[in-house]
Amino acid sequence: MKSKRILFILVFFVSTLFLSGCWSKKELTDLAIVAALGIDKNEQGRYVGTMQIINPGNVTGGMQGGGGSQGPPISIVTGSGDSIVELSRSTSRKLSRRLYYAHTNLIVISEELAKEESISAILDPLERDAQFRSTAIIVIAQGTKASNIVKVLTAIDKIPSNKVIKTLKITEKIWGENIAVSMQDAIKIIVSPGKELAVSGFRVNGDVDKGKTMENTHQTEPASLLFAGSLGLFKNGKLTQWVNGETARGSIFLLDKLSATTIGVDWEGKDEAISYELIRQKTKVSAKLDKGKPRVSIEVQAEGNIGETRVPLDFNNPHLLLKLEKEIEKEIKKEITMAIKIAQKNKSDIFGFGEALHRTNPKEWRKMAPKWNDVYFPEVKTDIVVDAFIRRTGLRNNPHKVNEK
Amino acid sequence: MEKSKISLYQLFVLILLFELGSAILVPLASDAKQDAWLAILFGLAGGLFLFWVHYRLFLYYPELVPPLYMQKLLGKIAGTIVAFCYIIFFMYSAARVLRDFGEMLLTFAYLETPLFIVNALLMLVIIYAVSKGIEVVARTGELFFVFIYFLAIVGFILILFSGLIDINNLKPVLENGIFPVVRVVFTQTLYFPFGEAIVFTMIFPYIKKRNKVKKVGLFAMMLSGINLAITMAINIGVLGVDLTDRSQFPLLSTIQGIQVAEFLERLDVFFMISTVICIFFKVSIYFYAAVASTAVIFKIKEPSKLTYPMGMVILFMSVTIASSYAEHLKEGLVFITRYIHPLFLILIPILLLGIAFLKNRKKESPQ
Repeated sequence: MKSKRILFILVFFVSTLFLSGCWSKKELTDLAIVAALGIDKNEQGRYVGTMQIINPGNVTGGMQGGGGSQGPPISIVTGSGDSIVELSRSTSRKLSRRLYYAHTNLIVISEELAKEESISAILDPLERDAQFRSTAIIVIAQGTKASNIVKVLTAIDKIPSNKVIKTLKITEKIWGENIAVSMQDAIKIIVSPGKELAVSGFRVNGDVDKGKTMENTHQTEPASLLFAGSLGLFKNGKLTQWVNGETARGSIFLLDKLSATTIGVDWEGKDEAISYELIRQKTKVSAKLDKGKPRVSIEVQAEGNIGETRVPLDFNNPHLLLKLEKEIEKEIKKEITMAIKIAQKNKSDIFGFGEALHRTNPKEWRKMAPKWNDVYFPEVKTDIVVDAFIRRTGLRNNPHKVNEK
Repeated sequence: MEKSKISLYQLFVLILLFELGSAILVPLASDAKQDAWLAILFGLAGGLFLFWVHYRLFLYYPELVPPLYMQKLLGKIAGTIVAFCYIIFFMYSAARVLRDFGEMLLTFAYLETPLFIVNALLMLVIIYAVSKGIEVVARTGELFFVFIYFLAIVGFILILFSGLIDINNLKPVLENGIFPVVRVVFTQTLYFPFGEAIVFTMIFPYIKKRNKVKKVGLFAMMLSGINLAITMAINIGVLGVDLTDRSQFPLLSTIQGIQVAEFLERLDVFFMISTVICIFFKVSIYFYAAVASTAVIFKIKEPSKLTYPMGMVILFMSVTIASSYAEHLKEGLVFITRYIHPLFLILIPILLLGIAFLKNRKKESPQ
């Protein structure tokens, strides 16, 4: 009985050693939370990583009152190395804490690097790591170094990486020239033989050196501002071309990622006379073989309202609206055709026509797959059918008329 | 342990948790590409047949556990040898599943913890549970079963609402014909996890209502097979074929993708809890089968005394069977399924059934 009690006490104490969960504990004060990771390449051909580290004491405060000091909410640390893991570890010589990647939600890759080599080399360590989240968003630093995108302070969203991601997500929803591509999506597309990658660029204007100081956030008009750039088209994991404006929007249309935008319609010789506010759309892409040649049919269904008019039209007339719908359809079709033309010229199938063909004609696809981008995709014929609907015209029917005396 | 009584519901729960076990963890049938779910369902069909074989054997000897009827069917010496081989097979399988568990935790959460510690913590719990008897394990199963299903349903709804599933990833169906799928069935899914239900022959004699064993067992197998097929179809729908194949733990990657309403994300713990629970039961049942067989063969009166030494053997075996995770997987998916599983899960049971049929031909039919 006594020995049993001693044994019990012994087990009791031994288990506290194991159950406390302190095997490889890391205190919060030993962690440097990385919000964004920027990757460049220097002259020696080594990777340079710029980490945006959250400075927790300075993130709160301001609006919430008390606590926060006046310092910047982030701090930057850089490291270089022949590989991503090496550059990450090498920062420990400059930093008093251990880098913690579980909250990294933005990866910025410099334009130069993306053009030079396939970005899949960069994505491998990030995908392999247990801390890193595969939902992190990828952007390309357009016309600047990745480090500059990471360094600039932003005013409304205190943490710049959040600002970049939110900007992308919101502009994707209401304007539709950019897309937010997650790391996992990017990898899925890179490995697929029937689809190529399209990633948004991010730009910075003004003086980056001023953007690094707190003054940047203390002005009504920041000296240096981060904003979404063009859409970068990739081929075999390398950036090959940027597309802008309506071509970019046509691409997003085809990817079925667009949810709302505004489309300008010409009317009786007047440019962009009417603004059509798209509220939802659905694009279906299907492929078939026509006499041995791939043929893609694209069906777009768009729904929206009239947002603005600069010509006096009678919107009470449904026949007029039907005519307008025809014009809108023409405009959407034009944008999509432009996007397809650019992609075909670039020989990179960012729309996944190849995947669509793979689904319908797996046998023939296997023969075409190795040469899809270079031989077959540029020759693909497309049939585009657009159905646009004007549902409502807002709070007013007819526009007001200026009484010209 | 001999006095245990298992209800039909407990049998159902045990079979289900056992089948989900480590199968839900790994990229099951990923060689069949987008048709993995088909390969799982075909494997299930084979598994149901094997279950029927075990059940017929049980009907011939409803009072006896397999080591005893093996001795009756094959003769004293040969029967003992075969039964002894089964003990080693059960222990090795338990060690493998335990290793799966440790590797999962080490790869994903406890990068710096030694494998031995992680395995030891689970094994100690398992030893304790099994030393209290199979009835205790079964009752624990009843509790956790509800919990697992709750997690699974919540996870499923969240994945659905995240809009992650792209049904196009599952197309084209049977791209390279039926042959690659059948190959996967006969090299993997038939044995792992469905053929492994052979351990339940050790539990059949303890069931209260024997006439319903077949119905409940087949139903549990079917439900688990369908669950696995759905899980794998979702994995492929979310991750695509390539990523599912390259993931060590595809379900984890799928769950990590969940982002609902800006705050429901990083639900990795769903995956962790459900696999830890399922693996606990899989190892426990294998371990129980090994202990009970040993007790029967060597006529040991208190089987619970065997649990500590045998548990230690399994623990050490789980650490030493392979030097790396890659080696562990290769061993399990190539060597074991090619040479060991067909022998232990298919040939011997069918042979035994054949002998039982011939020996009992003259007597009245078992029903």
